[in-house]
Amino acid sequence: MGRLHAEEMILNMGPQHPSTHGVLRLKLTTDGEIVSKIEPVIGYLHRSFEKHAENLEYQMVTPFTGRCDYLAAMGSEHGYAMAVEKMLGIELPERVEYLRVIFAELQRIASHLVAVGTFGLDVGAITPFIYCFRERELILDLFEMASGGRLLYNYIWIGGLAHDIPPGFVEKAYEFLDAFDKRVDEYNQILTGNKIFVERAADIGVMTPEVAINYGVTGPSLRASGVNIDIRRTQPYSIYDRFDFDVPLGEGLQGTVGDSWDRYYVRVLEMRESAKIVRQALEQLPVEGDVQAAVPRRIKPPVGEIYFRSENPRGELGYYIVSDGKNIPARVKMRSPAFSNLSVINEIGQGWMISDVIAILGSLDIVLGEIDR
Amino acid sequence: MTEQEIYSGLRGKFGEKVLEFMEEGTLNPTAVIKADSVAEICLFLKNNESLQFDSLMNLAAHDPDGESELSVIYHLYSTNLNHYFTLKTHVSRENGVVESVANIYRTADWHEREAYDLFGIKFNDHPDLKRILLEEDWEGHPLKKDYVTAEFYRGMRIEKVK
Amino acid sequence: MIQSLANWILSFDILSGLGSSLVWGLSLFIVAALIFVFVAVNAIVLVYVERKVSAFMQVRLGPMRVGKFGVLQTVADALKLLQKEDIIPEKADKVLFTIGPWTILVASVATFAAIPFSDTLLAANMNIGLFYVISISSIVVLGIVMAGWASNNKWSLYGAMRSAAQIISYEIPVGITLVAVVAVVGSLNLQTIIQSQGGVGNLFHWIPIPLPNWYIFHSPFLFLAAFVYMIGATAEINRTPFDIPESESELVAGFMTEFSGLRWALFFLSEYANATLVAFLVSIVFLGGWQSPFASYSGAQAALLVISLVAIMWTVFVKVKIGRLSMYPLGISILTTMAAWLFPGFAIWLASPGLFWIVLKAASIIFLLMWFRWTFPRLRVDQLMYVSWKVILPISLINLMGVAVWMWLSGEIQF
Repeated sequence: MGRLHAEEMILNMGPQHPSTHGVLRLKLTTDGEIVSKIEPVIGYLHRSFEKHAENLEYQMVTPFTGRCDYLAAMGSEHGYAMAVEKMLGIELPERVEYLRVIFAELQRIASHLVAVGTFGLDVGAITPFIYCFRERELILDLFEMASGGRLLYNYIWIGGLAHDIPPGFVEKAYEFLDAFDKRVDEYNQILTGNKIFVERAADIGVMTPEVAINYGVTGPSLRASGVNIDIRRTQPYSIYDRFDFDVPLGEGLQGTVGDSWDRYYVRVLEMRESAKIVRQALEQLPVEGDVQAAVPRRIKPPVGEIYFRSENPRGELGYYIVSDGKNIPARVKMRSPAFSNLSVINEIGQGWMISDVIAILGSLDIVLGEIDR
Repeated sequence: MTEQEIYSGLRGKFGEKVLEFMEEGTLNPTAVIKADSVAEICLFLKNNESLQFDSLMNLAAHDPDGESELSVIYHLYSTNLNHYFTLKTHVSRENGVVESVANIYRTADWHEREAYDLFGIKFNDHPDLKRILLEEDWEGHPLKKDYVTAEFYRGMRIEKVK
Repeated sequence: MIQSLANWILSFDILSGLGSSLVWGLSLFIVAALIFVFVAVNAIVLVYVERKVSAFMQVRLGPMRVGKFGVLQTVADALKLLQKEDIIPEKADKVLFTIGPWTILVASVATFAAIPFSDTLLAANMNIGLFYVISISSIVVLGIVMAGWASNNKWSLYGAMRSAAQIISYEIPVGITLVAVVAVVGSLNLQTIIQSQGGVGNLFHWIPIPLPNWYIFHSPFLFLAAFVYMIGATAEINRTPFDIPESESELVAGFMTEFSGLRWALFFLSEYANATLVAFLVSIVFLGGWQSPFASYSGAQAALLVISLVAIMWTVFVKVKIGRLSMYPLGISILTTMAAWLFPGFAIWLASPGLFWIVLKAASIIFLLMWFRWTFPRLRVDQLMYVSWKVILPISLINLMGVAVWMWLSGEIQF
């Protein structure tokens, strides 16, 4: 008589699966419902961004950056533009800086709305998703007014912006901000405090600060573990040192610090902070100024290299750019936040159930576009 | 602590393994080190009380021109002390081997796989060195400047970019 | 009903020549067909209602293009499903794969044979009606396991296993809860259960609020039992927040993953049939079935009740402003559900008030189920088991004993 034993089963989650946020494949080793190992397989959305960038002029790379993190295209463009400007040593007009901050922060709200909504979707709550998208539409309307695009903008150019904002934009932005605060209360009512939601998210996939830092997890996911690092604060770029805002940290209100619920809630709180920044920026926005004044005719940075990092909605977005004095970059490496954030999934997702792995993955808020690039 | 001071400290501790200090032509002052001592230097930088570089922000590889050596660049950051440092090392184009830091900084795990995938740089002691973005049976390492696109991939013609 | 149909057929002179057993068989067939038609039409209506209700809860419009307000949308969908290609995966167990959906459908349709739609309208007046309904409806799990296993797909297998565990564990508290009611009535006959709920009495026997003699108002224990039953039944029919067997964000579509076309439509049909069954059972066992809530009131009592109902509805109608639109999301969604039933309902009421009341009650329960679905996240599989074995089961056991004590205290039984 042989001994009875249970076999482990390999379960392929993805590349086509409703909850892998794109074309991600997770190779799960499962014992019943318990997942003992998670092996992410990526690259299904690899579009050779870095190879393209080595064959295009500096200004032609901008639209490609937006296609990497397609949920936060403004943020990607902003980071790239700032990196090249720093190499060129360009001083920007005030109005450009303010407008860029306004767009980057609106984009952060839009991106977090998707994150919050899809996290609800991952744990089975369908309605909050639609609520979040309702508000995201309003932001996209603003973006459309300014740039003509709703998902990909090519709006933040090296040295300036593509166009100035149209008349009526500021009023509409105020209108959005006035309504938005109450909407966040709605999400809190329908999702944040919901008993089932708390059961599903609290204490699940706890990420300690040490693990988070060691794996290079950044952004809201890192701050949910209680680590107070926000590049807008620790190494202020653009004009972020002029604004008054808080950096929300995970406090473990419903469970342990650094659990999925914290990662969710930090994003909810960050939306409010971003709204605060947008409001301040709108109030201080200089009325006059040519947004194209500093756009260089020929972009030929001096020989050298730079690593420039900025705070994208998902975390630290770094550009490592090498110039060899030509008008084409010698190397553009994008350090995408979701790439590192996803690598932690095996560490924090081991030993949880299939449903929890989905929740943990959702709470990390990944975008496959920038993981695969 | 400034980068110059960190460099001096490293130079004092590791001597010949630390080759030079680069401030010209880079906006992130960089110490150039030998490829086979990356791991021990990183370990030192991480564990030293006054340095505490606990975070590897980025690991990038670079091929300057298609002839000279490849370089690997490490961007370090200390979350406690809020300071930065950059390491750079050079490896030969073919069969270049760098000490892996994946066991020191888990971030490096995937980033080194990416460098291996796109540049063909091998990392010694890496827990699971295989391609990450491209398919296992892809020919060549595309981000090398002397990369030639293959004619076919699994029987499918690869279109040439003009 | 079968007997009266047979008698009615025989009452025609031309047909009286047919043998009585032939007519009996014919009537049997007609009644069965009627039940099936009811289930099918009901599913089509409910899918439409669910889409509209969810749309209004989510501040959208829902289907609007096919027919006025999209009323023909589900008809079009049903037609599309019927003409889809019939796909059986190559590695599937073809026999089980084919009979799985039908097993589920047969089980869920067969239960309606015992459901009394009014004092006369029921297919079979069984003295073990409640027992029959519970036992037949539990065959569903067999079909689900068949479908999940036969698909030869890991997601389907997970779904089937989860479903089996879930349905079996929830059947126990649900059964015990119903036993508490049976203990009060002393009969398993659904018609007897409804008839014993006629008239007006005090709330919980002693509190002087005049309410219908429904079992939900019989005692605090049965009041609680109604909720326990609702929770357990929601789990048994796999609806959110207990929809883990098909949880689309985890298991793609659970046991239905490999199904398409007509077979998939059968799952859908039985899902809504089951929801309807639960709604009918709640209204029969706890809400007085086809008994009118007003029948035994005096005029003044009825007026008071209507006024308080209106007041409650008023608080529900909270105005929400979205952009340029002002809406009453909750109110509108309630009204849509009601309207979907009420317009045909008025005609039904004229014909048979009993049918009208039981359908109204069932419709409200179905709306409640939809409300759950579009509000709550989903539980995890172990949390689901926890709720069943550690929360609901003890409560239902206490209920059963509590009801006995209550009846002794209120003098309904003597020793």
